[in-house]
Amino acid sequence: MTDTKTGFHKEILQIPDIEKYVEQIVNSLRDLTLRVFNRQGAVVGISGGIDSSVSFALAVRAFGPERVLGIMLPEKDSSPDSKRLALELAQKFGVRTLTEDITGALQGFGCYERRDEAVKRVFPEYDPKIYTMKIGIKSAPNSKLPPIFSVVIVDQQGNEFTKKLPAKDYLQIVASSNFKQRTRMAMLYYHAECMRYAVIGTPNKHEVEQGFFVKYGDSGTDIMPISHLYKTQVYQFARHLGIPQEIIDRTPTSDTYSAEQTQEEFFFQMPFKMMDLLWYGFENNYDIGEISKVLEIPEDEILNIFSNFRRKKETTEFLRMPALKVIDDH
Amino acid sequence: MSNLIAENKEVLRAYIKDNTFKEADLIQDNTLLFQEGFFDSMGFVLLVDFLEEKFSIQVSDEDLTEENFESVNALSRYIESKSNGQ
Repeated sequence: MTDTKTGFHKEILQIPDIEKYVEQIVNSLRDLTLRVFNRQGAVVGISGGIDSSVSFALAVRAFGPERVLGIMLPEKDSSPDSKRLALELAQKFGVRTLTEDITGALQGFGCYERRDEAVKRVFPEYDPKIYTMKIGIKSAPNSKLPPIFSVVIVDQQGNEFTKKLPAKDYLQIVASSNFKQRTRMAMLYYHAECMRYAVIGTPNKHEVEQGFFVKYGDSGTDIMPISHLYKTQVYQFARHLGIPQEIIDRTPTSDTYSAEQTQEEFFFQMPFKMMDLLWYGFENNYDIGEISKVLEIPEDEILNIFSNFRRKKETTEFLRMPALKVIDDH
Repeated sequence: MSNLIAENKEVLRAYIKDNTFKEADLIQDNTLLFQEGFFDSMGFVLLVDFLEEKFSIQVSDEDLTEENFESVNALSRYIESKSNGQ
């Protein structure tokens, strides 16, 4: 068999005929929604971030603005920019929006109280009225050890205090925070069921494959139109679809904890452009020497990064699985 | 090898076996625990908690290196050095 793989280069992820590719995705999104789900339109949770904006714009192309509902789901830790940008997006595309503040539901679940209880075990002085908080990830460069988690509290002057997180406290903070994504999922389905619409999911390729999502939270959707797209390609789509420039220029954040935190800092640990190219090289089995030469990264560093990719993929496999049957009845 | 070191290694091997569901004969003293996929991020955090509790030591951020954690041998040396106050 002839090897048709092209040489590795920095522009390898650029989509040559983007309009044709958009049309293919839009047709598939419409067809699956109508034929498989028997639904006539789409509900999309919009956060003012690039991924939800592109997913939203694809849904508008697929169903028309009158058959799409954009829902904003802020809570007390959300950045005020999120709602403003989401509204700007919806206005640009002429789509109806709803705002569902989920703070009360989260208080009902004890989301904030349970999270703060765990933070206080590590920092007894932590008071959510005075400090904001986030989870930190520390990984030693060129190390084969996985990253270690810490909790960071930030005072009103912006001073950060960091401590390593014991497993019990880390798990409680993450489990409490996951109420946010699961509550959003429940609210999106409420509106989708009322209107006989499908819920459009917004995770991109990295989030799905590296496990940066909450099971039955932001992954709890009917269709995910950008789950095969690298972040570089999501930006290419955004420019093509006419997403407002401020959304394109905004740094992607986790928008999960009360302290501001970029996705790069919270999970991915490297700039998106670099991660895209490395992941592409990794999943298409490019020669390490070739990647090293193009990206100007030492080969041993690439081997470590690939080993981390492999570990993330393997250890998050359960997140991507449906509930398993103990005995197969077929 | 002193009895204490041998005992510590035994405790470590038992912990690894119970928490990774690996066959006992796969856990040699020089097996590279992270390179060979015995522990993920959460497993690493739990291992640190276990060391602190079981051996009454404080693991600092600076201690989280391959030199201290890569194998049963490394962990045993690390516990010994911490117990000796180094």
